[in-house]
Amino acid sequence: MLQLENITKSFGGVKALRGVTLDVRAGEIHALLGENGAGKSTLMKVISGAHQPDSGSIVMNGETIVHNDPHTAQRHGISIIYQEFSLVPGLSVAENIYLGKNTSKWMQWQKINQQASGLIQSLGFEIDVTRQVSALSVAEQQVVEIAKALTTDVRLLILDEPSAVLGTQEVQKLFSLLRNLRDNGVAIIYISHHLDELQTLSDRITVLKDGKTVATIQTGTADKDQLVNLMVGRELSQMYPPKPATRLFDEQIEISDLASKNASTPLSFAVRRGEILGIGGLVGAGRTEALENLFGLHGKVGTRISTGCYTYQPSSPRKAIQQGWGMVPEDRKRYGGLLSLSIAQNISIANLAQVSNRWGFIDPRKEEQVTRTLIDRLQVKLGAKDDPLSSLSGGNQQKVILAKWLNRDLKVLLIDEPTRGVDVGARAGIYRIIQDLADQGVYVLMVSSDMEELMGLSDRILVLRDGRLQGVLERADFTEENILKLAIAST
Amino acid sequence: MKDKILKYDTLIIFLLLLIISSVVSPSFLTGENISNLLRQNAPIGLVSLGMLLVILTGGIDLSVGSIVAFAGVAFALLSYEVYFGAGFILVLIGGILIGATSGYLVAFRRITPFIATLALMTIVRGLAYLLSKGAPITVGSHSSAILYLGTGTILGVPVSAIILFVIFGLAYVMLRYHVFGRHIIAVGSNEEAVRLSGISVERTKFLVYTIAGFLTALAGLMTVGRTGVGTPNIGVGLELDAIAAVVIGGASLMGGKGSVVNTLLGVLILGMIGNIMNLMDVTAYMQQVVKGLIIIVAVLFQKNK
Repeated sequence: MLQLENITKSFGGVKALRGVTLDVRAGEIHALLGENGAGKSTLMKVISGAHQPDSGSIVMNGETIVHNDPHTAQRHGISIIYQEFSLVPGLSVAENIYLGKNTSKWMQWQKINQQASGLIQSLGFEIDVTRQVSALSVAEQQVVEIAKALTTDVRLLILDEPSAVLGTQEVQKLFSLLRNLRDNGVAIIYISHHLDELQTLSDRITVLKDGKTVATIQTGTADKDQLVNLMVGRELSQMYPPKPATRLFDEQIEISDLASKNASTPLSFAVRRGEILGIGGLVGAGRTEALENLFGLHGKVGTRISTGCYTYQPSSPRKAIQQGWGMVPEDRKRYGGLLSLSIAQNISIANLAQVSNRWGFIDPRKEEQVTRTLIDRLQVKLGAKDDPLSSLSGGNQQKVILAKWLNRDLKVLLIDEPTRGVDVGARAGIYRIIQDLADQGVYVLMVSSDMEELMGLSDRILVLRDGRLQGVLERADFTEENILKLAIAST
Repeated sequence: MKDKILKYDTLIIFLLLLIISSVVSPSFLTGENISNLLRQNAPIGLVSLGMLLVILTGGIDLSVGSIVAFAGVAFALLSYEVYFGAGFILVLIGGILIGATSGYLVAFRRITPFIATLALMTIVRGLAYLLSKGAPITVGSHSSAILYLGTGTILGVPVSAIILFVIFGLAYVMLRYHVFGRHIIAVGSNEEAVRLSGISVERTKFLVYTIAGFLTALAGLMTVGRTGVGTPNIGVGLELDAIAAVVIGGASLMGGKGSVVNTLLGVLILGMIGNIMNLMDVTAYMQQVVKGLIIIVAVLFQKNK
């Protein structure tokens, strides 16, 4: 139904696509795999008509497209759902679904609501279509986004990292929805970093590397290691750094009365120095809130922290930082980075005292020197040194945000979803940095929704459900089943 | 080459205008006219600088025009009660307090800057009318030293222009090399990230509005200094001129992006347009149209970046 032949596309001097060949059939889920920068997004934009290819041919439904634009793509039934949703938060579900598609001038509320409701039900979900989109969970928004796409006669649906924001259960629901669509003859292109997902969901997998198609294979004919190999030319087993043979430190921090989502049951647990304590659970289990409260982001909420020598109650980020705590938040764009500021400015922001004199004047040379050291240490790949943070890839942005804390005497690192939106190649680098920190005696608390990452990197895993501590797993007991058993309510 | 042009776009607009002005009017590039131009635009320059700082944090300050009027009226009234120096300082303190009020509402009470400063704009304008009973007040002869601020010169350069340049220089250094300046820019770029870095967003915002209040009160004193009269209805719409200058200087109203040098150029660009059209006897009504067009052109130019 869609054939791409030798597509190339350059931006300035950069060749984003150097010859992509892709064949998508009706009624299949076709996974597209590749590191960030492999050309997936550019390819999607070529298909949806946002970009014109420099050369190569696009054939849709047997018709050669000479000039592709969004309108032509739509006419051919191509619909794309981006990572950032295109919903209007202030409008209701039904309004969003039918936005711009009204045939009559007046809103026929009853009819619109009925149709929208029917559509959502046909997808196997229950959402009150009169609710505002802003009040929905991310998973529900995803469903609305898909419903919106389905109001047109969609024959090819493209999803860009749809599961990145979803918890395990929600991913399962999304998958059954996609399988349903496939069985009705819709072709689906599914972009993701999650190899496990692709292997359960897709029918065929195309691997892109450096703007070229490396291979298209039948799902199941290659295992994970082979897929990673195709993507980066590296084995998966090298992804996670080795753990030290023995415990390097004896101390631990006792955390008690950590306010959780469920105020009646505060959390108490201990973190050992030099370990990476993973925090697992479903989306909404209160993992992020736990980190935020530890960092004092919501003021004083009664949490007590005691080490061997002192006790401390988190009350504000500033206090936490003075105690040697650092936090890398989940959503880089919203909370983590100063995207319009330079890399150096992002790194020095948490410790301006270090690069300034006693009257508060910043010494640019000192700032540059500090930055340079950290950039080298973390192997951040960057263009010009004054480029804004936004010019870096996700993985390198994350390294810069980590670097900001390494610039201080870091004692405890709170890190939320360390590799969300980070490509496989850069992940290994970030994992090594985190492990190194732990080996140097930093207490690391890490929240992750990525099971593989959680098990690969943690020394122990603490599982939360509805803000309650469900159990702590030792490394020997790490299996996906064990974690899920604790994370999902057993009735 | 193209990058260079875009990088210095405000400067290029400024130079183009300078050349055009010199060509179309022989009296433009005379010492007297340039002095006059600087003297006229020094107050709006100070106001624009305060506005820039506020805009850098992602805020806006609509109360500046009212503060200028209030400062003038208050100084004129005080000139009959206290010594010149005391009046001068009291007025500056008044500006600081008004700015601090805006800052408190925005930073600590989380009122949208537009709304908070809109309220202050109305209140302070009302106070200016109340104090003056609606009529202009001439500054008392004890305090005629204020005229030096508005009309005096040192080695032929207007005092107000010297103050303007010195303060802009200080602001430049502050934003580029001082921790506080870094805080201001960072808050505008991503408030949450700044909070997570242990910096008080509230304190930064509060101080920025306070500084704007101070600079605006100083601008008000300069304005009185030009005429020797405190007028309650002066400075209406001044906030819009200041915003225009800042925007022509390439700042983003979303915060985090803006430059001291370019804001000064923005002020001078707007000033020159007024000046040259006065020299050419273009009506004030037409001037407004042209100013608006220049804003559109400047911003479109920057959009292409």
